[in-house]
This record gives sequence, C-alpha cells and structure tokens, in this order.
Amino acid sequence: MSDVVETIGVSKWYGEVLGLNTFTASFGPGITGLVGPNGAGKSTLFKLLIGQLRADQGALTMLGENPWNNVPLKRRLGYCPEHNQLYGWLTGQQFVETLLRLDGMPTTQAARSAKDALEIVGLSNVRHRPTRTYSRGMRQRAKLAQALAHDPEILILDEPLSGADPLARVHILRTITEFARNGGHVLMSTHVLYEIERITNNIVLIHNGKAIATGDIHAIRALIDEHPHAVRLVTPRPRDLAQALAGMEHIVSFEFPALDTLLVRTRKPDSFYKELPKIVVDHGLEVHGLESPDDSLEAVFRYLVG
Amino acid sequence: MDVMRAFRQARTLIVVTVRYLLGTRRVIPTALLASAPVVIALAFAVARIPTYDILVFQSLMVPLFLQVVLIFVTLVNATTLVREEIEDNTLPYLMTRPISKPAIAVYKYVGYLVAVLVLLVPPVVLAYAVTEGHSGDPMTADLDVLGALLLTTVLGSVAYGALFLFLSVLVRKPLAVGLLIGFVWESVVSSFPGDVPKISIIHYLKSIIKDLVAVGPLTNYTSDISTGIAVAVLVGFSIAMLVLALFQFQQMEFRQKA
Repeated sequence: MSDVVETIGVSKWYGEVLGLNTFTASFGPGITGLVGPNGAGKSTLFKLLIGQLRADQGALTMLGENPWNNVPLKRRLGYCPEHNQLYGWLTGQQFVETLLRLDGMPTTQAARSAKDALEIVGLSNVRHRPTRTYSRGMRQRAKLAQALAHDPEILILDEPLSGADPLARVHILRTITEFARNGGHVLMSTHVLYEIERITNNIVLIHNGKAIATGDIHAIRALIDEHPHAVRLVTPRPRDLAQALAGMEHIVSFEFPALDTLLVRTRKPDSFYKELPKIVVDHGLEVHGLESPDDSLEAVFRYLVG
Repeated sequence: MDVMRAFRQARTLIVVTVRYLLGTRRVIPTALLASAPVVIALAFAVARIPTYDILVFQSLMVPLFLQVVLIFVTLVNATTLVREEIEDNTLPYLMTRPISKPAIAVYKYVGYLVAVLVLLVPPVVLAYAVTEGHSGDPMTADLDVLGALLLTTVLGSVAYGALFLFLSVLVRKPLAVGLLIGFVWESVVSSFPGDVPKISIIHYLKSIIKDLVAVGPLTNYTSDISTGIAVAVLVGFSIAMLVLALFQFQQMEFRQKA
C-alpha cells in the first residue's frame, strides 16, 4: 500500500444497514473528490479514516497507517466534519486556538496560528465573535480553519461547500487549492459534481457504499455522455417542436408524456441547450418551461449502475 | 517534550471544561440550587428564628444538600462531559486531535470536579458561617460539622461524578438513568435491611458524618463503617467507575446524529 488512502474490501454495518459495501479504492496525492448522492457512504468512509468508526471488514490505511485509536496519526490529519456544530460559546479565535492547544501547541504559538488560519479563510474581522453568531458559510470556514491551522499533511473535508454562500465558496475553494499546491493532500466529498470539477480532475464515484468509478473526471464524464441526457420541455405545441428539433443529429428520441410536454433525449446536452433558443425563435414556437431530470447526480449514478 | 505536550493538553481541556460548566448559561439552575443552603440559613437568620442552631443546620444539610443538591449538581454536570459532545456532534473536533480518548475523558472529569466544587463548597462554608453567626458561636465551635460536610461534599462529587460519567458512556440517556439511581435508589436504600445499604454512595457519606460529628441527626444512623473505611470504599469505587468509563469510551464508535 503506497497511496495516501487505501481501502480494500471495506464494509461497515449500522445494524442491518450497510454503510459501506466492500468499498475498494485508492486516493493518490493532491486533491481527490469523493462524489456520490446523499446516503452513498461518503461520511461513513471519512469517519473510518478519522478513527471515529471501525471497519467491520476489509483493510483501510491513511498515510500508511490504520487510523483506529491511532493518536500519532491525528497530528498529520485535518478534518472538517459535515455538521455545522461548533462550540457556540467560544469565539472563532478561541475555537481554533483551543483545538491547537489540544494539539500540544504552546499558547502564544496557538494564538498566532489560529489568527493566521482564520485570515486564510477570510474570517479575520469576525474572529472575536462567538461562533453561535456565525452564518452557515462562516461556520464552514471556521471548520476549515481548525482543520488546517496545525499544518497537517492531509485534509479530509466532508461536504465543505454545503450551505456555503458564494463568498464562502470562493474562500473555501481557494484555500483548498492553495493547500494542495503547497504539497498537502485533500480528500473532499460532495454530492455536486461541478463543485469538485473546479479544483481537481481526480474523482472517485461512490454509490450504495461501493466505489463505482475512479479516475480522471473527463473519462468518467465521457462514460456518462454515452448515455442519452433527458430534457423536459413544456410547450403548447410539442409535436411541432419535436419536428423542429429533429434535425439535430445528437437527438436520440422524443416522447410526449403529456399534451403540453416534450421529452427529448440527447447525447450532447451542451449542444442541445446552445441550439435550442435559435430553433424555437426561427420556427415561431414557445417554450414555457425547461428542466432536466438528469441534472441530479442520482441520474448519473442510475446510468452508471444500470 | 511529550510530558509538556500532555500537560498543555490537560490544562487546555480542564480549563475549557470548567469554563463551559461555569461560564455559560447552563450554570444558572445548578448554581441556584447549590445556593439553597445559604438562602435557607440566611432566611432563618433574618427571621431571627431562635431555635436555629448547628443541630437544625445539620438536619437541613443532610436531606437537602447531600441527598438533593449534591446529587443533582453532579448528575447534571458529569453526564454532559461526553454525552453532550456526542449529541451536539462536537466530539469529532476532540477525536481528531493527537490525544487519546481515555485522556479526553480524564481531563474532562478533572474539569468537572473543579467546577462542581466551586459550585458546592462555598455555599456549605457560607451556610455554616451564617448559622454560627446567628447562634452567637465562634466559627471554630463546630468544625467537626463543617469538616464532615466538606469531606462528604468532595467525596460525593468524586464518586457520583465517576458513576455518572460511566453511565454517560454506557447508555444513551444517562440523565434518566442517573435520576433513577440518584433520587430513587439512593433515597430508599437506607430503608433496606442487612447490608443492602452498602450498595450505595449515600450510605458511606452518611457514615462519615456519623463518625466525625459528635452530636447530630445521624448520631443514631445504622452503620459501623469508620471514616477511613468509607473514604477507601468511595475512592476505590470512583477509580473502578472511571476505569470502566475509560475502557468503554476507548472502544466506542460514534455514528454522529444526522
């Protein structure tokens, strides 16, 4: 085993519910995205990696070591939990500083490092406010600050962008990218593919506790593109619209699920969205609504798992 | 360097625990309850009750302070040490630090002890001072009573705290189980015949008061246990509860609430 994180046949039960199901994947250096819908097993894997849970089957190592009750390994790890709970009665500065002192850092150094970490994540001007007054985005950033303040080797971030406002997202993604650029490893989970696409090409797709695809994001997206993408259009003249769209070579099929609805399946959704407005205008047609049932990650996984 | 690191970690977690237990709004109900003996003593003094003396003081302190205030304050504070971190989803922050789970529990327990003694000891001393002042006796007149109450307060805090800490890592609703033990079992156990009362903390606390105080409401309490034996039993019990709590905590997995 030589990757940053290696898992071989890892299973974890919650009573009768299988959280991870013979999960096998390796996570290399740099930034790796763990992508899957809610309930896929992302948080379960992370809890195994930080030693909060113990695998029922299989082998799992992080930085070459078993994480369960491994105190020295914790020094090399920074963890950002999914939940937004902080110690609300502490200020942001006190929160990060206290955790640094629990790392064994001297008081003065901890104060300085906490201040620096909060500055990196853009919380300098609110660091003396109690964390219970923080917005959701601020909480996300405070969690990230405590995860990287002690200069770990690996960051494990469980849905770090969840609920974050646009400004917070910018700060968080910038911080993660900078951390990786400086030699750190990042393992980040999300259920939104485009979030991770912005900062890495390496992803692992997880579904129902199993790793179903790993590798370069473009290769995985190509896999997805082989399966037609569905678009639902609300229009008073669905058959006329279908006739107008029939000239697009990437259209696979048309369906008419309702009197005012046209369901189009296309192999190239980007081209479809680009060409649709001109076709509608040129033929004097109307489109009152447009949605893609396939925009959710669940649809992607349905394609991949069959 | 490892010793220094462990010292820093201990000091940090103890201080944070004390600050949380004493410095947030949650302290208000326990502080109010802990001050009950002082309030009652002051009320008697202000009302100039002529019969209020050290005997009446003891008659109040045993049922009110030992069997209600002490148990309630230790229960509320000890059960939050670990269980509240689990329920509030803040435990991962501690568990991802380079500090073992048993050490986390021990340092929090020490912080709990400091906090509850800050809550409980001053009211005992103040109520005693008010009582002696009211009856015109010097502060040194009944030091056996004060000494016995302080000793039982400290030992009770240690023993009940260890028991409730163990409960908090064993069951999901430690407060409910603790209430049953603290206010039902500990109340009725003295009524049982034979050696059954020995399966309680309150029996040893009462035995200490009986042994140390020359004249008081527990003079005729049914117990042949000396102070030394009682202290040894309570300390041994506390150590056993702590060891069990640490062992249980070490093996625990934390699924985290959704």
